[in-house]
This record gives sequence, structure tokens and C-alpha cells, in this order.
Amino acid sequence: MQDISLHLLDVIQNSVSASAKCVKVRVLQNVVENRLRTIVEDDGTGMDSHTLQKAQDSLYSTKKEQVKNVGLGIPLFKQNAEQAGGAFRMASELGHGTVLTADFPLDNLDRLPLGNLKDTLLNSIIGHPQLDFNIHLLYRDNAKELCFNFDTKEVREELGEIPLNYPDVIEYIDQTLYEGIQKTNMEDV
Amino acid sequence: MKTLADLKKIREKALEDLKLRSGNTRVQIVVGMGTSGIKMGAREVMKTFLEEIAERNLTDVLVTQTAEKRLSSEEPVVEVIEEGKDTVTYGNMTPDKAKKTIVEHIVNGKVVSDYVVQPGD
Repeated sequence: MQDISLHLLDVIQNSVSASAKCVKVRVLQNVVENRLRTIVEDDGTGMDSHTLQKAQDSLYSTKKEQVKNVGLGIPLFKQNAEQAGGAFRMASELGHGTVLTADFPLDNLDRLPLGNLKDTLLNSIIGHPQLDFNIHLLYRDNAKELCFNFDTKEVREELGEIPLNYPDVIEYIDQTLYEGIQKTNMEDV
Repeated sequence: MKTLADLKKIREKALEDLKLRSGNTRVQIVVGMGTSGIKMGAREVMKTFLEEIAERNLTDVLVTQTAEKRLSSEEPVVEVIEEGKDTVTYGNMTPDKAKKTIVEHIVNGKVVSDYVVQPGD
């Protein structure tokens, strides 16, 4: 993958495959601690500890051993985080969901760029109109804290019977995410 | 700045639209968004479909994504599903091809045979 937001798109797709109803996406840019943290949390089927282990380590294993519906995306994400001096953690509970956290040192030259976070989020939201997404972006440095929240539940409440993938709504969500990304300095990270 | 109040206006307009037509989805576009699809550019292809649909106000076209494995050698793969017609599978898609597919297939109803790949290859 060329950037972190493509990994996020892939991980969100895993949550969908795990029958999630709500997916929470957090991107936290902490300049003070030199850390870019991404968290994807779902309320899907979850995994037992054995499956969880295999889902992360299957990079060099055979196709047959790979966890069904997960594939190579997670080991690649883990590898990219760790190679850039970051960290990667996954926690899961069968029947409750999965939380995936990837940390990247902001100043590491080997770090992937964050990339086009807006298109990752827009595609995920519109591509799965039956799911709810809760987005939280946070930027922090010594002087300030900037934050952006977006929840499809709130949008749905306003829209009533109009679906999220109605053309004008797509534009609204696209523009809202764009403004949120600008506001929290998530462009060109 | 976009606010939730903007959605109220959208809703009013959309309700008028829906009154004029039956409100059904005429065609569904499914973009393969598995790991290999994403690597090959499926995100940009999907974004192009969304932009075209918003721009042309195609209220009866639904774009969704799936992680189901189909033709990993032909990614990004897109399926066009229309009721009463055979599903058309397009492969090796790009944003430009997505634009052409919207004009020729979705708007004018003509399959873009150059982009068609056979499912199960």
C-alpha cells in the first residue's frame, strides 16, 4: 500500500466483512509526542486469540493458513508501522468486536504518508450505506488542540428516509470531511 | 462551513425528487475493495463513480463496495447490476474508464465491451 489511508480502507473493509454495524475511525496527530495514531474499532464478530494471532502473522504463511476474509492486509499494515519505528496492536473479543491501533512516528522518513483520508472515509461511508461510521480526528501541538467529529447517525436523523448515497448527500459528506481534514491539519501528513 | 442544517434543505429537495420517480434503484455499481483491489487503485475508481453520480445527479444509481474475492488478476474490478439484465463485470478499471462507463453504460445503456472481463477467469 502506498499510504496509511489505503490501509485504513482495507481494515475498515475487514470490519464490514466481520458483520460490524458501527465502525469507529480515529486519527490522532500528536506533534508533542511525535506520533500519528490510527485506530479502527468495530462491533463485528471478533476473533478468538488464536485467530487474532494468525491474522497478524500470516505474512509468510501459506494461503491455506491465512485467516478467512482477512488475508494479507493486516500483516502488511503491521509491517509498515513497525518498519517506520511505530507500533501495531490488535485486540479482539469473540462476539464483541475488534480494535486495531497503528502508531507511526511523525518525523520518521520511512513512514508512509497518511494519504487521502477523505476518500477513504467517503468511500467507506457511501460504499456501506447500511453501516454507521463514527469519525474522530484530533490534532495536538504545544499551542493548540483541534478536533473534528462526524457521525453518520446524526446525518441519518436529519435525512429521515433519504439514503446516505443520495447525490447531494454524497457531496455534503465529501465537503464536511474535507473541511474536517483541513481543520485538523490532516492534509499532507 | 457545512452544518447539519444543510441536510434539511437536501432532504426537502430529495423528497421532491423521490415523488417524481418511484424511488427505486435502477442500477447498482459494486466496486471490489479487497486488499488487492485497493492496491491497484480501487479507491480512486470508486471516488470517480461517486463524483460522477453527484455531478450528474443520478439518483437511481447506487454505488457500493465489497471485499469479496473475484478476479485478482484484473483488479480493480467493478460489477454493474441491473434488474432483468445480465451482470456486467469490468476489469482493470481506472478513473478515466469509470467516467466512460458512467456515460456509455449507466447513462446511455450501452455496455463498454472493451473493459468487460469474464468472471471466473
